[in-house]
Formats: sequence, structure tokens, C-alpha cells
Amino acid sequence: MRYFIEPGYVSLNKKGEELCGDRVETIYHDGTMTTVLADGMGSGVKANILSTLTSKIISTIMASGLSIQDCVETVAQTLPICKVRQVAYSTFTILQIGVTGDAYMVQFDNPLCVLLRNGKHYDYPVEVNVVDGKTIYETRMKVELGDVFVMFSDGVPHAGIGITMNLGWQQENVIKQLEEQYSPDDSAKSTAAKLADVANALYLGEPGDDTTVAVMKVREKQTVSIMFGPPSNSEDDIPVTKKFMETDGIKIVSGGTTSKIVSRYLGKEVRTCLDYIDPKIPPYGMMDGVDLVSEGVLTLGHVMEMSNMIVSQNNTDLSWLQKKDGASIIAKYLFEYATDVNFFVGRAMNPAHQNPNLPLDLSIKLKIVEVLSKNLELMGKRVNVEYH
Amino acid sequence: MEIYICVGSSCHLKGSYNIIHTFQELINQYDLKDKVELKASFCLGRCTDGVATKINGEFVDHVSPENAVAVFHEHVLKPLGME
Repeated sequence: MRYFIEPGYVSLNKKGEELCGDRVETIYHDGTMTTVLADGMGSGVKANILSTLTSKIISTIMASGLSIQDCVETVAQTLPICKVRQVAYSTFTILQIGVTGDAYMVQFDNPLCVLLRNGKHYDYPVEVNVVDGKTIYETRMKVELGDVFVMFSDGVPHAGIGITMNLGWQQENVIKQLEEQYSPDDSAKSTAAKLADVANALYLGEPGDDTTVAVMKVREKQTVSIMFGPPSNSEDDIPVTKKFMETDGIKIVSGGTTSKIVSRYLGKEVRTCLDYIDPKIPPYGMMDGVDLVSEGVLTLGHVMEMSNMIVSQNNTDLSWLQKKDGASIIAKYLFEYATDVNFFVGRAMNPAHQNPNLPLDLSIKLKIVEVLSKNLELMGKRVNVEYH
Repeated sequence: MEIYICVGSSCHLKGSYNIIHTFQELINQYDLKDKVELKASFCLGRCTDGVATKINGEFVDHVSPENAVAVFHEHVLKPLGME
């Protein structure tokens, strides 16, 4: 079986800092997803430089297949030395998971990564090694479908120190929280956001340290396809619809004319409902054979705005998951459910949209697809866009 | 009697939400729930003449939040003999 490895992270800056001293790098190379979480010494600019160098060096070296010894040596020789403490220092956790399920993890001085298997804390094998005078924990294992690896900087177990708790949150309580908040449908990003949000609450909204959660989730491929707009040449209506209908997984039809084309092809009626949950977002509809029908540019415009919010590294707002309007439902399919997204974008002009007073013209539609697909890629999803 | 109100992109921007709201209120006010069915439609194919509606099988174009009450009187109440 080939797995899909989904990364997602959230970083909260220490109160008053513009830059985060924690850094997460994710790269996909040759069938392996690598995530590096580095926490630079101190905070602010200096910590940011240390952790950026560390994570960049490690992700680049590891992705090209060199050993952990090479990594540690390179990092040690490259990092600038802190004048105050006379050392160059950044902690790091490296997690690599291949599509075939082989995982390799290296941990140095970060709180230990928590693995959730079937929603429960799972003790993974650890080998202790000393490299260059540094104690390194190494793990080699096979992952299982649904495994969730949660890495975090010490800002998480330290949450609330001296504010809400004498000793801070502490590792075992972090594990308890992860088990309690677990839902099998949560994406990597939502898992990270939920945990970071609790940590933030323990800090009373003013983190005393940079606080980062990075998650890798082992999933199977789940495809969502969106047909958005009618083809510019109406002779292509049927072939494009046929291709769209032949995709696996969830199918969303977005746009009035587009829904008519698909309705005609399938011989099924669109059933709309009148409920305006949010006056800004047109109501959605249903049709046998597809999973959702929506209005086009306005609804997907909202989805695009939501994607901008979600990819920002310090977002912990998950309230959109509870909303029932068309844009939020599409967002859930795209951001939470999908590992693979196909856009079938039609470039026909709608004469009614060529009105300069309406924000509907073709260039806006193309812009929405461009931004949305870029953001989906940032979320670690595989995106395929075809124009007709 | 069936009433379709277009909620496609351009009709939405021209005020479908308010028109649906007005029609719902009028249906309640005149106690027409058993006689009139109000439905949304994604595209009635008359985008340049929005907001497009189809009342009792006939297209009624250029409906707006401003003339919604008048349209309801003319195309719904009149045919029902309630005017």
C-alpha cells in the first residue's frame, strides 16, 4: 500500500516578538516526506536565524540521502556562536516518512515526539546514540494507516509556567490532551491548531516562549475534484464533464451554468435549498451523482479567502469547521478531507459577468484557482489544474 | 404555484438574498404556504437580466429588492385572485 503523508504545523510567537525562534521545514523528495522542527536558542531574530539555518541545512541534507552524522556536523560547524552563551545551538526533530511506510526519526533536545495510533499514545522504539558529543534519539519503524506524529517545541510542555501552572503543562498532560482531542478525521493542520490553541490558552494568550506544533499524519489517498465554469468551447462540455465524472472520490460542481451542463449530462435535477446561512454566500444544492453543487465565483472566492487564513502559520481558528454554508463545506472537503485535488476550470465568458460593477469576470475566476491551488500545495496536497 | 429565484453569481450580487427574504415574508403574511412553493435556482440562463425569477412557469426578469413587493403583487397575488 502507498500512503499519503500529510504535514501541517502551527507556530505561535513569544509575546512581543515579531519573529518566531522555532522553524518548521517540510520537503517532499523521492517518495519521502521530511519535516524538520528546529528551536533556536533564545528568541527573536537570533533564534530565528539559528533555527532557520538548522532546519534548512537538515532538510536539504537529509532529503539528498546523506547520514545524520553529516547533518549534525554540518549544523554544528555552520551555526553562528551565541555571544552570550558561547555556544551555537538549536534543537531539532527530524521525521521522514516514505510512501511505503518506512519512518525514520531523529530527535535532539526537543520534547519527545508523540505518536498517536488509533488515537492512543503509542510507545515507539528508540535507540540512543551519541554523535559529536550530542545525545540523539533515533527511531526506525513501520507506520500504520492513521498514525499521527506530533512534534512540538518546549513552548508546549512549558505552557502556563508561572501563569496558570507552577510547572507548566508538562509532557504527560500534553499527551492526555492529544488523546482527548483526537478525531480520526482531523487533518495534520487541525491537530496542530487544536493543541497550539490549548497551549495558548494556558499562556492566557501571551506565550512566554515560541510555541510550535508540527504534525505528520499517515493517510490514504482521497481525491476531491471540482468542476468550475463551463468550457470556453461548448463542444467540450460533454468530454470535460465525462472526464470530471470519471474521477474517483468527491465531486463538486461550482457555478450556475456549470451545474446545468452536468445536470444535462447526468439527466439529474439540481435540488437547491433556500437556506442562506451566511447572506454573503449563496446557498448550495445537491444533485444525484455528485457530492455538492454550489454557485461559482463568490463561493470559491470565499474558499480562497479561508485558505489564506488557514495557511498562515499562526492560525488556530477552527470555527469554520462548524459552519454549514457552501464555502465552508467546500473548504472542509479541500483542506481536511482531500490529499489530492483536481480542478477542471472552464474559461467560457458569461456575458452577464462582463459588467465592470460586478466582481465576477474571468480573470477573477482564474486568480481564485491560482491562489487556491498554491495554498493547497502549501498544505501538502497534490494539486492538478486543467483549463478548458 | 412554483417560484424560482436565481441565486447564481450575478443575481446573488443584485440582491437574491433580499428578494427571497421579502417573498418569504409575503408568503407568511398572506398565508400562502400551501399554495406557493419558493425555490432557489442556480442559473435560469438570463444572467444579464437579473435578478431572474420564474413564477408559475413564466420568466420575470429585472426583479430587485426595490420592486420585489410589487412583483409579488403583480405575478403571485393577482393570478391567485387575491389582489
